[in-house]
Amino acid sequence: MSLHSDSVKGLLLFAALLLTALPVFGHGARVIWEVQGDSVHISAAFDDGTPMNEAQVTVFSAAAPSVPYTSGLTDENGEFAFLPDMEQSLAWDVQVRKAGHGDIVHFSLDGSTDTRIDQGAFTTLQIIMMSACVVWGFIGTALFFASKLKGQNAHS
Amino acid sequence: MSKRTVVLVSMLFALSLVFGSCGTDEADINAEETTVETQQETTGDLVFAANGEDFVRAGFISSDGWHITFRHVYVTITDVAAYQTNPPYDPHTGEEIIGDVQVDLPGIFTIDLAEGDENAEPVLAGILEDVPSGHYNALSWSMVPAVEGPSQGYSIFIDAQAAKGEESYNVLLGFENGYRYTAGEFVGDTRKGFVTPESAGDLEMTFHFDHIFGDIEQPADCDLNLMAIGFEPFAELMQEGTVSEDLTTLFENLPEETFTRLQEALPTLGHTGEGHCHCTVIQ
Repeated sequence: MSLHSDSVKGLLLFAALLLTALPVFGHGARVIWEVQGDSVHISAAFDDGTPMNEAQVTVFSAAAPSVPYTSGLTDENGEFAFLPDMEQSLAWDVQVRKAGHGDIVHFSLDGSTDTRIDQGAFTTLQIIMMSACVVWGFIGTALFFASKLKGQNAHS
Repeated sequence: MSKRTVVLVSMLFALSLVFGSCGTDEADINAEETTVETQQETTGDLVFAANGEDFVRAGFISSDGWHITFRHVYVTITDVAAYQTNPPYDPHTGEEIIGDVQVDLPGIFTIDLAEGDENAEPVLAGILEDVPSGHYNALSWSMVPAVEGPSQGYSIFIDAQAAKGEESYNVLLGFENGYRYTAGEFVGDTRKGFVTPESAGDLEMTFHFDHIFGDIEQPADCDLNLMAIGFEPFAELMQEGTVSEDLTTLFENLPEETFTRLQEALPTLGHTGEGHCHCTVIQ
């Protein structure tokens, strides 16, 4: 085995490696969730679309994130359903695994999956003040031109 | 409206803007301080481990029937970082991880994934003490060529024995390219990454070597075995009882299609448990 081959081979190898410098997931799994009535419906499939049947499902609530809320197996279509205790938590995590493939999804049942607070947002006070300043700017500009016109008329 | 009125009202707006923005900044600073205080109120330890799973510790049979046992599987890891992210990081997006909290494990580690017997625990990479409490639900690391030691020049170096029927070969395989992995939450038997003052959290960089050699216990037409090249292509390069190759020589010696498949399989080695990573070739 040689660590140092000639530069041409190295360049060719590097070029070949660059061709694979793309996002790689291989044989991944994807899990989709959907609210159906009072229950949450989970659908799991491998990247090639094959349903993850008889896959192990573990459900966690944000109230007790390291303790399974419920668990079970997907059916032959890779599907699973559970009834969330909305009083316990609105945020849920569901993990699905089979034969070395796995994925975890995180969602909130408050209508949004993103609970991040936009730290870049302005406060209400700032918004009111900025709006008032813009309006006052228009008024000031109008008064400025109005006074100029008034002056011109006075001179003529 | 008199000029004086206009000037007075304008000055009032200007002053209120100044004080308003100052007040908001102060509020922001207070909020940030509160956040930092909250995060720093409690701390705990975070343990990083690397795991080649039973495939490496106990050996396995490749998709094409070669029984592979590993003496050493060296991986060299650096730029290890753990994150608390909200919303949780999804590696399928391919984006960089943006964490509300990020902690870095400094250093370069060459780890032998075959260390210990088949019942051995994952290999310790390092411990960070007194990190902010919380759920570390994302992880990133790079695999780079070792600059010294038994795997010098390679990010992955395999020292193994492969046997099939009457044939038995020494195997020395080195992979010199580097990879950057970004992962979400560990997927496995238990949830990981919860740091509290009472208990350390742990995270795992997991490597699936069945992605190279395949697994006879899985269906022949499953995507894993369709991706893996098995061991036969390596066996055909045997000289004097030893298969000794790296990516440079494999590029020359393997059929183009087989080499391409190997290149595509190598970046998929990195996982966190069974959770997949986003991977880019970095060198």
